[in-house]
Amino acid sequence: MSKRIITMIVLICTATTLLWTVGLIITIQDQFFYEASSIKRPKPTTSNIQKNNELSIVALGDSLTRGTGDETGKGYVGYVVDELKKRTNQHIQFTNLAIKGQRSAQLISQLKQKEVQRQLKEADIILMTIGGNDLFRGGEALRDLSTTQLEKEKEKFVQQLRTIFQLVRTVNNDAPVFYIALYNPFNDLDNGKETSAVVRSWNYAASEVAADYKSIICVPTYDLFELQVNDYLYTDKFHPNKEGYKRIGERVASLITLTKGEK
Amino acid sequence: MINLVYNEMLKIVRKKRLFIIAAIVAVLVSLFTYAQFKQIETIRERIGTTDWRTQLQQQIIDTQNRLNSTGISEEWKKFLKIRLQQQQYYLDNDINPMAPGAPTFMRMFIENSIELFLPLLVMVIAADLVSSEASGGTIKLLLTRPVKRWKVLMSKYIAMILSTSFIVFSVALLSYAISGIVFGYGGWNLPLLTGFSIQGEELNTAAAHLIPQWKYLLIEFGLAFFVSLVVGTLTFMLSVLLRSTAAVMGIMLAALISGAILSNMVSSWESAKYLFMVNLRLTSYISGMAPPIDGMTLSFSMTVLAIWALGALIVSFYVFTKRDVY
Repeated sequence: MSKRIITMIVLICTATTLLWTVGLIITIQDQFFYEASSIKRPKPTTSNIQKNNELSIVALGDSLTRGTGDETGKGYVGYVVDELKKRTNQHIQFTNLAIKGQRSAQLISQLKQKEVQRQLKEADIILMTIGGNDLFRGGEALRDLSTTQLEKEKEKFVQQLRTIFQLVRTVNNDAPVFYIALYNPFNDLDNGKETSAVVRSWNYAASEVAADYKSIICVPTYDLFELQVNDYLYTDKFHPNKEGYKRIGERVASLITLTKGEK
Repeated sequence: MINLVYNEMLKIVRKKRLFIIAAIVAVLVSLFTYAQFKQIETIRERIGTTDWRTQLQQQIIDTQNRLNSTGISEEWKKFLKIRLQQQQYYLDNDINPMAPGAPTFMRMFIENSIELFLPLLVMVIAADLVSSEASGGTIKLLLTRPVKRWKVLMSKYIAMILSTSFIVFSVALLSYAISGIVFGYGGWNLPLLTGFSIQGEELNTAAAHLIPQWKYLLIEFGLAFFVSLVVGTLTFMLSVLLRSTAAVMGIMLAALISGAILSNMVSSWESAKYLFMVNLRLTSYISGMAPPIDGMTLSFSMTVLAIWALGALIVSFYVFTKRDVY
């Protein structure tokens, strides 16, 4: 070990000690004596996603779109994407913006976010589920089937759904929107008849709203779960299981070919 | 005095520990670089895009979903909530906090190593500074010179400071040089947000402001140096008190690891915030993470650490100058 090397190391150490001390001084000056002022934002970079022969799918909504109950975690959107991948050689870009337990009012505020709007704008296909939590409210609806209360809820939901479609359409005027309607997870319970009637009336109202907008398609799922509902439900008896999601996914995927005309 | 310090540095360099430490850092940085590279690749595959806004939005949605699921602890929930608000703030201001590049990697590496890894490395150097002389008997030779005892100890302490800064420097240099091979060497001027403060479950952005990444790094490495110094000083004190290097290392190791464990579960034991080991994560104040215990701030943690270090320093000098050496 020559003397020169040691001298050099000592010099490096001294220099870095000084450097880190400067860092500490900057810390104190920056963190403790900072005068609040508004942030100077950097110039917005080109915020458009490059679209090079890409098929962009955006999914919105609640736990159904999230895929709760499917042990593979795909959910119906996963099967739709899988199916589309088979049919087209385009690169598929898929964004899932769904949040578990989301209700229509929360979806509205989500749709007002800048980044969400940017992604919707770029979307070629929009998938959506909403309303399940508005209607069932975690099973509360089962206990209280009083028609006046439910009628009020329905009115509210219809209005909010209108707002949602309106928002989606103002941001993106072309992409087809597939609104996946409600099914009745409780139709084999004692009051299955009553709950089914309520679900049907909500679905009817939703399809009426959808009809007012260009290429917003209301996809029924009610019939898929009508027979042997428990075979298609997850153990929570509310969300679909893998098989249930597959059925929804197949149905949605078949519709997409019709409207998109992909190869 | 300069000669004394030089002499001490000679001893440290001769033991070749500094080089071993640099080698450890190099190996770990390579590992983390590879892990990071893999992670970026998986995310890209999963989301199908390299657009960072889409990725960040997806992360936000994922966090929201996790918040909605039952059975996650309150602390974790709070942590997620604060991180969520921060990510949303980044997104709203059109800033990418994770733009790939060697400086970003350096930032992540130092943020993750400040609490345990870096203190451990410092401990390796500082543990035997005095105790090895005591157990080897060379301390008698050292003290028979016509130099005041406090000067002998002072030279050792300065040597400790110098080698600590060498360690921090090698972490900085190696993490930049190695990760740059994969991520590229640019990104020093990337704007980053700092100055968040946390009130309960809310993220206060009133004092948030942008600074370039080089300044951010300088701040974080300055804090890392500060933490290393405090840990070094405490180890130094133990090294004065105990003759066995193994005992010094054992005690420090126990303290540091218990700190890492404690900061995950002390949120209800409030007075734990006066322990030095739960205060080591200074960088999380800069990036705006939730502190382990409510009411902890950067100035609080720095003060606590400084008091511990000062106490240790006083004890070591007092004991060393008064002790009988035989």
